[in-house]
Amino acid sequence: MRKRVPWEVIPALAVGIGLGLLYAWMIAPVRYLNTFPNTLRPDFKDQYRILIAASYSATHDLVRAKSRLGLLGDADPVQALTALAQRLLASGQPFEVVQQVAMLADDLKSGVAHIPPTATAASIVSAEGPSATPPAPPAGTEAPPASTTESPTLEAVTTVVPITITPRPTPTATATEGAPFLLLSDDKVCNPNLTDGLLQISVIDSRHHQMPGIEIIITWDGGEEHFFTGFKPEIANGYADYIMQSGLSYSVRIAASGTPVPDLTAPICTDSSGQAYTGGLHLTFQQP
Amino acid sequence: MPRWLFSLIALAVGIGLGLFYGWEINPVQFVDTTPASMRADYRADYVLMIAEAYHADQNMDSAIRRLALLGSAPPADIAAQALQTGQSLGYSADDVALLQELRRALQAYQPAPTPVGTAPGGGPP
Repeated sequence: MRKRVPWEVIPALAVGIGLGLLYAWMIAPVRYLNTFPNTLRPDFKDQYRILIAASYSATHDLVRAKSRLGLLGDADPVQALTALAQRLLASGQPFEVVQQVAMLADDLKSGVAHIPPTATAASIVSAEGPSATPPAPPAGTEAPPASTTESPTLEAVTTVVPITITPRPTPTATATEGAPFLLLSDDKVCNPNLTDGLLQISVIDSRHHQMPGIEIIITWDGGEEHFFTGFKPEIANGYADYIMQSGLSYSVRIAASGTPVPDLTAPICTDSSGQAYTGGLHLTFQQP
Repeated sequence: MPRWLFSLIALAVGIGLGLFYGWEINPVQFVDTTPASMRADYRADYVLMIAEAYHADQNMDSAIRRLALLGSAPPADIAAQALQTGQSLGYSADDVALLQELRRALQAYQPAPTPVGTAPGGGPP
């Protein structure tokens, strides 16, 4: 005769599973203690990127910065940095922080370390060498993902590094700090595909690197407006634009320093069919 | 076999199945981790970045703020731990020197006292 399994088995099993899940998920969940940077919360990843940029700004070690960014698992580290610079700018973070992030993005894009010019003597050195190699992973443990294991035989990046004569803690001062911006070019732009009266402004430093976070003041008869470079990183980090009204005369200057560029008006252009339309201007400022 | 024993066995099996599912098949996913939970070598590199930035700007407040993300231990202890890890991993002499500089600076750091009220004899009553 076959014995029947008591009906209480089913609810007991269900209660048991429930208790097991409660213990496994709530009371003693799997603990991740040795996590990787790519699992960090997004805001901590941003902090990580800012720190990489700050470190890069101090060492100009592009290979190491690239390796560190690789740990975050971004599909496009340049895009991630550019977007971060934009967010920092929009949230009013210090210009120095924004500049460090944007500079790293620019240098990653160009593949060349950007060393700010200094008042001290300079020598040509190579970034290749032991110091360019990221710290090794701990022995006996799994290697860090992706590019920390990048080959130390990466292309040599020839950079200009200042000879440090002044003892620390004096921070490295850049010669361009506070130098007035000069108008490098003032071009008429006749492109019917662009918005009528578009005033495009590019701000670069002495090495032609884009400068985000630069405040620009535009004035006209009875009005004034302030805007900043860096809000359109998809165009360039040092780019800003403004729509000019036809018939008005404007004066533009960089807020920090620089002489105003007066008498700017939207030019009249003609398209291929001879039709007149309002063109634009492109000003390029450079900090020498 | 008594009926209650069936139930007890079923309960035990259920708990076992629950644990197996919760720990092995579908464990809690930690995707939003903090820098404090990173593996020791990543933590050491994180501190090294702070040391590199500190070496250039000598901004202790900024260094301490950044170290705070690595846990609630005193910043000097975090730097000392990173130094130890760095040495065991064979960091270059330059990197070790940077970590030592940061640790020394943190040990010597005295935060400025927050002014409370006015100085004796000074200011309006």
